[in-house]
Amino acid sequence: MISVVLTKIVREGQKVLLRIEDILNKILGSEQNVLYYHGAIPNFFMWMLFLSGLLLFAYYTCTLEAAYQSVEYITQKIPFGDMIRGIHRYAADAMMLAVWLHALRVYLTDRYREYRIIAWYSGVALTVMMLIIGISGYILVWDERSYIIVKMMSEFLGALPFVGETLSHAFINDNVISNYTMSMSFFLHAGISLSLLVMLWIHYMRISRPLVNVTWAIGCLLAGIVLVVSALFPATSGPEANFTVEPTYFDIDWFYLWIFPVMKAVGYPLTWLIVLPALVVVTILPSLIKSKDHEAANVNANKCVGCKLCSVDCPYEAIYMAPRNDGSKFKEIAIVIDERCAECGLCVGACNFDAIELPFNLSPVVMDDIRMALEEGAEPVAA
Amino acid sequence: MSETEKNIDNVKVMVIACARSVNLEGELSGLHGRNLSGVDNAYVVQVPCSGMIQPRMIESAFNSGADGVIAMGCQIGDCHFREGNKFCRERLLGVRPPMIKKTVPKNRLKGLWMSEVQVNDFKNRVENFKKEVVEELKLEVKKA
Repeated sequence: MISVVLTKIVREGQKVLLRIEDILNKILGSEQNVLYYHGAIPNFFMWMLFLSGLLLFAYYTCTLEAAYQSVEYITQKIPFGDMIRGIHRYAADAMMLAVWLHALRVYLTDRYREYRIIAWYSGVALTVMMLIIGISGYILVWDERSYIIVKMMSEFLGALPFVGETLSHAFINDNVISNYTMSMSFFLHAGISLSLLVMLWIHYMRISRPLVNVTWAIGCLLAGIVLVVSALFPATSGPEANFTVEPTYFDIDWFYLWIFPVMKAVGYPLTWLIVLPALVVVTILPSLIKSKDHEAANVNANKCVGCKLCSVDCPYEAIYMAPRNDGSKFKEIAIVIDERCAECGLCVGACNFDAIELPFNLSPVVMDDIRMALEEGAEPVAA
Repeated sequence: MSETEKNIDNVKVMVIACARSVNLEGELSGLHGRNLSGVDNAYVVQVPCSGMIQPRMIESAFNSGADGVIAMGCQIGDCHFREGNKFCRERLLGVRPPMIKKTVPKNRLKGLWMSEVQVNDFKNRVENFKKEVVEELKLEVKKA
């Protein structure tokens, strides 16, 4: 039942996307169609964030006493410091937005399950990592917002049974906010940022030629948007955190800090009860649609000449060449890794020797179909 | 092929199409479900992806009496299997192995890259292609 509904959603969503795509192709041409770079766009913003983050790091001081002042110094005294800070702030939002659009597109175009499962799981992990990076980043500013985040985050973590107590100490040691809070936040912010690269490597696994870069034109457009927004709406700090005053309100970056209003509204335990199951559902989403029977491409050893064309063309790294010692005059043979095969037939199109075939779509059958349609179809037949 | 006079009414076109591009479900009718409804003498055979179209399939279509052949995939940039339509296009252009034989009449071979929301546009293009094929056949007769 769920399977049927989800399949229907995907089908209809795909049509909407195809219409948008068609329009964009007519305006921009397929070379510059932003829809075709939906995976490369978050990547572009990530590099913007690495670069602006590195520049901010040059003047940032990671202590309770000096953090707020150093951020103010960057914003007010360093040439273009406010711009760099703005870029770091808005590129992060843009990245999260781009990631959601990317996820929505791969979901609606049905490109997230079966042979793409690793990309889905690692994508969920990447998004969670981004949230942690974002939240810890807002602590580093050390204004009132940071203070509330630390307090609420510790209580939130503390609400987890068994491990909560230990986890809450990640930010607050012995119930005291100290420099340890800052260094921990900085470690989470920068450390997880760098490990995004490792997770991205997993994200790209099994994709022979991942599209990771946007075109120059799209890059300039995206960078331009971030720059304009940074100039129009400068990123600012709230009042410096003050332990004697309990802050009650702060501006919310809805891309990263949405969880705090949720906590405020429903309390910590219920937030966990919403967030954890939601995460589980998103993770197992690919398994909710029933897969078709899987029958991977197979190689006819008698016909394979070891020309490598199929292994080059395979988009999912499902074919590799292995040395053969079966008395054949050819040195290598193509081997298909069954569970990676998408049954797309690109290997069949690349083979000039009929040596690789899809069991459900044999090329001789396609050829017969062509012949029969043309020969028997010679007489027009009423529908 | 061109011994008898070919005109728009008897020119035959074979479309070898990606099953995910123009959605032909319900668009097919008639013999073996291969006739393209609304376009006379146009036949469709589907493959999972245009990247699966072998040069030999195109040859076989011409050998079986097609006057024109269309290889069709999704819009370039959007392939469900990432690169199938690009590879197909490169083969049609003769820059990716396996190559299409020189004996195949390239001027009567066409690549179309369209999505399932463009069914009507697709039919018009097949209709236009038939006209092109008729013109091309006339030229070939003259040359011979």
